[in-house]
Amino acid sequence: MSGFADALPPDAEVIARILAGDTDAFGILVRRHEAGLLRFATRMLGSADAAADAVAEGLIRAYRHLASLDDPARFRTWVYRIVANRCKSHLGRRSAQGVSLEEAGPVPDPYDGEAELERTEQLALVERALTTLSAEKREAFLLKHVEGLSYEEMAAVTGERIPTLKMRVHRAREALLEVLKEHR
Amino acid sequence: MSELDPRIHQVLDGELPLESLPPELQATVLRLERAAGLLRAAEAPAGVATRVLAALRRPPPGGSRRRRLLRWLTERHAVTIAMRPVWSLALAAVLAAVVLVPTHGTGPLLGAQEGIAQFVGHFPGARSVDVVGPFTDWRSGVIPLRDEDHDGVWSAVVVLPTGAHEYMFVVDGERWIADPLAGRYVSDGFGRQNALLIVRPVGR
Repeated sequence: MSGFADALPPDAEVIARILAGDTDAFGILVRRHEAGLLRFATRMLGSADAAADAVAEGLIRAYRHLASLDDPARFRTWVYRIVANRCKSHLGRRSAQGVSLEEAGPVPDPYDGEAELERTEQLALVERALTTLSAEKREAFLLKHVEGLSYEEMAAVTGERIPTLKMRVHRAREALLEVLKEHR
Repeated sequence: MSELDPRIHQVLDGELPLESLPPELQATVLRLERAAGLLRAAEAPAGVATRVLAALRRPPPGGSRRRRLLRWLTERHAVTIAMRPVWSLALAAVLAAVVLVPTHGTGPLLGAQEGIAQFVGHFPGARSVDVVGPFTDWRSGVIPLRDEDHDGVWSAVVVLPTGAHEYMFVVDGERWIADPLAGRYVSDGFGRQNALLIVRPVGR
């Protein structure tokens, strides 16, 4: 489970505490996973505001349905799935309103020093390249290469088959490289 | 769109070692890994823990329409009064005078369990500032602060129930900031601090 290791106690133990009545322990799960979820949702939606909404809604939904989680050790993939679905709903609404990812504006970059200029420009270029991908390819690339999920874990998050996900990741890599080459 | 050499995908999928590729293909792998690394390293936006915790402390929504109506009628709601800071101080003085000066048969403008809270923050260059707390269900957009002079000083005056209120400022819809002038802070239970405001009855 690459990228899933975290400080003790493990998710399953925390969930057992929550279900036994220690509801404040949910804070441990929030603290552990919110940064990754926000990073993923922000790249999916191109907006920090929309991402915060999707992640907050997703975490609240996860808490309220925690008892229905069959395998507590799989909390991370489960909560990514919930947040990914919130992102898709948001993208669907945005598409219905005729707002594109580019129009949603760039994600603010906290680094503004001159020494960071090149890195910031490169990041902006990669972010722009991401917006050229379809939502499915963007999701597959982010889960694989940014969140570090295995294809098995990605299948649990997306509900898609592994060959489909591999194909999406491969196409996403090719499309990204194409855009990055144009700006070399 | 040109297809990549399948060996590049195999390396990126962990099926082949990088060293097994010729240098030009290794460069492509590294370019993709560098792009992903930039996305990984970029700082995540402000956390949502405060929002999530606050929402979980509330009773779940639902119930019958009658129950929701009853709850709406019996629960307190924040009332926003937007005005220039100087006028807000004048209003506070007037309200204090109204409460302090004995009247014959007429009650004060505010309930005995209500007080005036003024939120002021210095956020030069901000596009929007909101105050959020349990009194807004930790949602921004309910009590916006205003900076009509464009001098970076944002303010709002609201009527709140007396007692202690946790709050945060939300700047530009994304930066959650504990009021640096609050003087009192409490843990939000997730390792961060909320500002704490004590609202007292007017004139008491």
